[in-house]
Amino acid sequence: MVLDGVSFSVEEGEIFGILGPNGAGKTTAVECVEGLRRPDGGSIRVLGLDPIENRGTLCEQTGVQLQDTQLPDNLKVWEALDLYASFYAKPCDWRELLQQWGLEDKRDARFGKLSGGQRQRLFIALALVGDPRVVFLDELTTGLDPQARRATWSLIKQIRATGVTVVLVSHYMDEVEELCDRAAIFDQGRIVTLDTPSGIVAEIDAEYEMRFTLIAGDLADVAGLPGVVRVTRNGDYIVVTGRGDFATAVTAQLARDHVLVSDLRIDRRTLDDAFIALTGQPFD
Amino acid sequence: MGKLAVVEVKLLAREPGAIFTLLIPLFILLAFGSSIEPGDTVLLPMALAIAVGLVGLYLLPTTLATYRERGILRRMSTTPVRPANLLAVQVILQLVLTLTTGALLIAIAGTVLNADLPTAVGQIAVTFLLGTGAMFAVGLLIAALARSGRTANGLGVLLYFPMAYLAGLMQPTDQMPKLLARVGEYTPLGAFRQSMHQLWTDTTPSPVLLAVLAAYAVAISAAAARFFRWE
Repeated sequence: MVLDGVSFSVEEGEIFGILGPNGAGKTTAVECVEGLRRPDGGSIRVLGLDPIENRGTLCEQTGVQLQDTQLPDNLKVWEALDLYASFYAKPCDWRELLQQWGLEDKRDARFGKLSGGQRQRLFIALALVGDPRVVFLDELTTGLDPQARRATWSLIKQIRATGVTVVLVSHYMDEVEELCDRAAIFDQGRIVTLDTPSGIVAEIDAEYEMRFTLIAGDLADVAGLPGVVRVTRNGDYIVVTGRGDFATAVTAQLARDHVLVSDLRIDRRTLDDAFIALTGQPFD
Repeated sequence: MGKLAVVEVKLLAREPGAIFTLLIPLFILLAFGSSIEPGDTVLLPMALAIAVGLVGLYLLPTTLATYRERGILRRMSTTPVRPANLLAVQVILQLVLTLTTGALLIAIAGTVLNADLPTAVGQIAVTFLLGTGAMFAVGLLIAALARSGRTANGLGVLLYFPMAYLAGLMQPTDQMPKLLARVGEYTPLGAFRQSMHQLWTDTTPSPVLLAVLAAYAVAISAAAARFFRWE
């Protein structure tokens, strides 16, 4: 069994993240929702419709970007958009998509000659060409360079700004933190948590660290402050590990004691930490 | 559907493999045609069989398996248009390509090479369609079983040479071992070449051979449909 007791609902107009390690069942879950796979049990409704029974109606209102798919190398960008637009009863104007997704100067380029980022933008444009109410984007930025990833993120935010609901399957924590209104973390076919990214981070309450170098004054009893787990000292270099809002308590204490520090750094708690805490395994 | 057909025609025209399947039989016809005696009944049926064999065993399976491998069928299945439409368009398109090649070969043989042409146009058409049906069925089965375009291509090559040999396309059947020539007559490509040859010698093609071709076309396509994987 790939999925067991998975239940979630996506609100209209939000970006919903589905996170999890490879083999967690996230792609299977999304394929069932997209109607590409028939579930053995349970019930799924997308825009009030059954993905299998009402396939035809639903396909008109959803757009899908699939992981690991290509187009024919000799297909030109405009031909792909024009062709896919012809599949839908009420498509968008693909010329506008071309412009919006920065593919105008690649209009006559063949798919085989496009860069990874350009291909990805074309795929997103193809997912949007039917003027969908919901789009599913699977492993959108895998294999892209950091700059192309950032650019893609801002485009995803644009999609939401037009009122389209986005379901984002990802195994990048930073992507989910940046984009998603809410996210579900999958592990071994189950949803282990479902909340806003900051909610997930807070809920897990993983340990994190603050570091600084002592310049003047004596370090008082920081170890006894609420939330502090341990203090390690190496000469003037101090690392305080704790949970919750301990960093505020520590900085307040330092100020009261007139202790001067430099190079103060507080590690942000991230979804990565939450993920490790939830699934007991590091990501990837 | 119209736009899909237009795009697929463009893609086919941009595919060097498609041009080769058109040029190879033409080249063979012209290369050997100049040194062959008038009234020859062997060369043109051979060239026609090569043309049909190349499309059926190379072009069709490689194209379809590549479409599956690249996730093009899968991507289409997320749109309102079923990917079966794409397969249908491809099969029709390649059928048109085969018919065009066949017509071109016959026209060139009739004009440039002054070859004798049979007058039974209806019978030629029926035989050509049955032969193409049988070879396309083999191609569809390859496409159904091969995981990737590369595998499909390899399987096509692997099948083409023994089939072409048995069909008497490598050497005339009267120079082949008798048993092999006899067996070859009942292979899809062999039955096709033999019935074409019969038409060229002004006899009616043997109903048994035509039935064999029809049986191959139906049985092998059924197997292809049964085993075809969309992903």
